[in-house]
Amino acid sequence: MICSAAKLGDVSEDGIRRLVDAFYDKVRLDSELAPIFVRAIPGDWGPHLAKMYAFWSSVMLTTGRYKGNPVAKHLVIPDIKPELFERWLALFNETCGELFDDGVSEEFRAKAARIAESLKLALFYRPDRPWPPESAR
Amino acid sequence: MTFVVTENCIKCKYMDCVEVCPVDCFYEGDNMLVIHPDECIDCGVCEPECPADAISPDTQPGLESWLKLNAEYASVWPNITIKREAPADAKTFDGVPEKLQHFSADPGPGD
Repeated sequence: MICSAAKLGDVSEDGIRRLVDAFYDKVRLDSELAPIFVRAIPGDWGPHLAKMYAFWSSVMLTTGRYKGNPVAKHLVIPDIKPELFERWLALFNETCGELFDDGVSEEFRAKAARIAESLKLALFYRPDRPWPPESAR
Repeated sequence: MTFVVTENCIKCKYMDCVEVCPVDCFYEGDNMLVIHPDECIDCGVCEPECPADAISPDTQPGLESWLKLNAEYASVWPNITIKREAPADAKTFDGVPEKLQHFSADPGPGD
């Protein structure tokens, strides 16, 4: 099979930056995600993007550049819902596929899926309710 | 889901994990580290960093008692994010079976 030569075949800080930039460009245009993100980040997106470069650098390149508490950050977002994580993942997966070859895309997607699941559990899991949650509003 | 620190950390406590953890979810006992299961985001970065292979995902069967131990002590031991020297005899204890008998419930110094 012929892979597109333009796609990145390894993970680098530059690749992460391109992924994050392209992904959040999509988020800001997305009818489901944009309202949540725009409310959470009303002004300059620079600091958020820089934090996300550091986060993915820590996760994919084990640089330890990011230090934070994403569970606590997500807990305070109004109107956050389990199905928004699916939308987030769909856009993220799409962006990975546009930038990276299949192998690298899959590495990013696998990490993102695990982290999303873990955040969902932290935010929405209750011992007395079924898991996964039904997407009822 | 979370990762858990298991038996082989006891008396090895290499601490390589704490530097790579993006969410600072390691807590330090006298001779072992644990992961706070509510803070771990399951990124898996720490797992390959452990020289003692003591970190595993909680989806692995048979880790229930370790998950419980991690949860219990993460809420009482101090947070650790900066690696220090491993114990001088860490290597001697790496891979020794039945290390739970050496487990100390005392807190470590933390950062």
